[in-house]
Amino acid sequence: MLIEELITPERTLSGVPGGSKKRLLETISEFVTQLHPETDAEDIFDALIERERLGSTGIGEGVAIPHCRLKICDEAIGILFTLKEPIDFDAVDSKPVDLVFALLVPEDAVNEHLKALQIIAERLKDPAYKYHLRQAKTDEELYRAAISPVCLT
Amino acid sequence: MKIIILGAGQVGTSVTETLAGEENDIVVVDDDAKKLQDLKARLDISTLHGNAALPSILQQAGAEDADMLIALTSSDETNMIACQIAYTLFRTPHKICRIRDVDYLSRNELFDRKAIPIDEIISPYQEVTNYISRLIDYPGALQVLNFAEGRVQLVAVHAFYGGPLVGHEIQTIRTHIPSVDTRVAAIYRNDRPFMPTASTIIEADDEVFFIAAQNDIKTVMSEMRKKEDAYRKIMIAGGGNIGETLAKDLEQRFQVKILERDSNRCKVLSEKLNHTLVLNGDASDKELLLDENIDSTDVFCALTNNDEINVMSSMLAKRLGARKVMALINNPAYVDLIQGGEIDIAISPQRITVSCLLRHIRRGDIVNVHSLRHGAAEAIEIIARGDSKSSKVVGRSLDQIPLPEGTIIGALVRDKEVMIAHHDVVIHSDDHVILFVPDTSKVREVEKLFQVGLAFF
Repeated sequence: MLIEELITPERTLSGVPGGSKKRLLETISEFVTQLHPETDAEDIFDALIERERLGSTGIGEGVAIPHCRLKICDEAIGILFTLKEPIDFDAVDSKPVDLVFALLVPEDAVNEHLKALQIIAERLKDPAYKYHLRQAKTDEELYRAAISPVCLT
Repeated sequence: MKIIILGAGQVGTSVTETLAGEENDIVVVDDDAKKLQDLKARLDISTLHGNAALPSILQQAGAEDADMLIALTSSDETNMIACQIAYTLFRTPHKICRIRDVDYLSRNELFDRKAIPIDEIISPYQEVTNYISRLIDYPGALQVLNFAEGRVQLVAVHAFYGGPLVGHEIQTIRTHIPSVDTRVAAIYRNDRPFMPTASTIIEADDEVFFIAAQNDIKTVMSEMRKKEDAYRKIMIAGGGNIGETLAKDLEQRFQVKILERDSNRCKVLSEKLNHTLVLNGDASDKELLLDENIDSTDVFCALTNNDEINVMSSMLAKRLGARKVMALINNPAYVDLIQGGEIDIAISPQRITVSCLLRHIRRGDIVNVHSLRHGAAEAIEIIARGDSKSSKVVGRSLDQIPLPEGTIIGALVRDKEVMIAHHDVVIHSDDHVILFVPDTSKVREVEKLFQVGLAFF
């Protein structure tokens, strides 16, 4: 699986105002509902909040991968945001977060989702990859940086 | 976490103290500027002066970004409306609300998203009642705390001469009562905690905390002190909210008398309580107490809203021959001074309320938190989530789990079955794990240990 199977140019935004963890999860929920009107922003928000309650998805070094299952979606939806200002995300290393890859998946096919999550997490551990994402000034630049092949440095 | 606390009263203050040191960003709102000043001088928090229910005040307090709202003002109505506003205008994810008046609590459908959106209700009267009721069920216990719906209990007792285990190593309990499994979680000797091992010798006057299945509690208690007869006759002084709920809870199992000064209130009580003898009179009236056979009363509970009356009347009752006396003490500073002399047990409604608030505030899938030893220690029931990949505890045996220093796992509950913790027990997903944390500064580590990793959906 490749990153481009999860995100689309319209689901990639740079310089999103973060505000706080709560507000960011709200932004994500509303953003998904705009693109997929069949979904309900409150359901998504609740599911993301509940998942965070069991353990933060802030994996460290400024990266968070909030995720949850969603009854009515039939394929995995990935969303990539870079934040204007880093926010406190209760991350494992307590560092503020400015790179957010949200992943909403259907209720079934658990192994597939775990693989997707693993791929995202692997890529977001690569400092060069993160550097390019953070450098992107526009949504388009961000999308291109996100789908560019692995650069080993 | 970003937390807004409404109300800087006694409970609001204790909760703020507990949370301020734990990587939280706290704003306290109150309409009393002096109280806020005092708090701010001591703790690293922000404060806001104003009416806690107003949308503008909530917004200024940071409701748009807050993860949690805890409504603890002295007004039930203010607390409820603040939760409603926080939900409607700011979608605050976790809203915890204290509601004193039990009238509000009689209808569950009120507290729904579509009605009054509150995630967790704290009902101090009900909590205090449950607390006292458990103490009455176990004569001799200093504290009885429930886990996993009461299947497992943590009990504090003073070891005393006459208990077969006193003067012996803890491990000898297995030869005394081989059919019963228990774990001694902590021992406080001369008010200092120490980690018990199998070869620790229990001494008279040790305060022993042990964990066991509910059915085994009395057997274990009788190892620590001479077995006491079950209580039968209970006298309650003060027919307020707590007195009433306690009488209602006890009247089917015990012979209950309730003393109330106000004759109108007595009428109300006698209509509501079918098996309780309601007496119009003063709790500190010596003649009345004697007439009502105080000397054959097993437990005298002083539950008026006046600390002084509670202290004096329970001392009087004790001197007149009541077997055990308990006093409700509202001022938290007095609680420890009062317990242990003539008064057997001092009950602090603040501590009980704070304890049940902590349950909702702690991170992770926490079912129960009990604050112990004036807040220095905590007992926690937490559900282990995830699998061996996403969890640091699931799939591991207890001796492989890197618990913070001093912390012990006392028991597990798996599908309603109680398993007392031994080093080779392996934790499964969805097990309820009961831990004793003697040092609250380590609670954050425990939370982190039980958090699921990224690979959890």
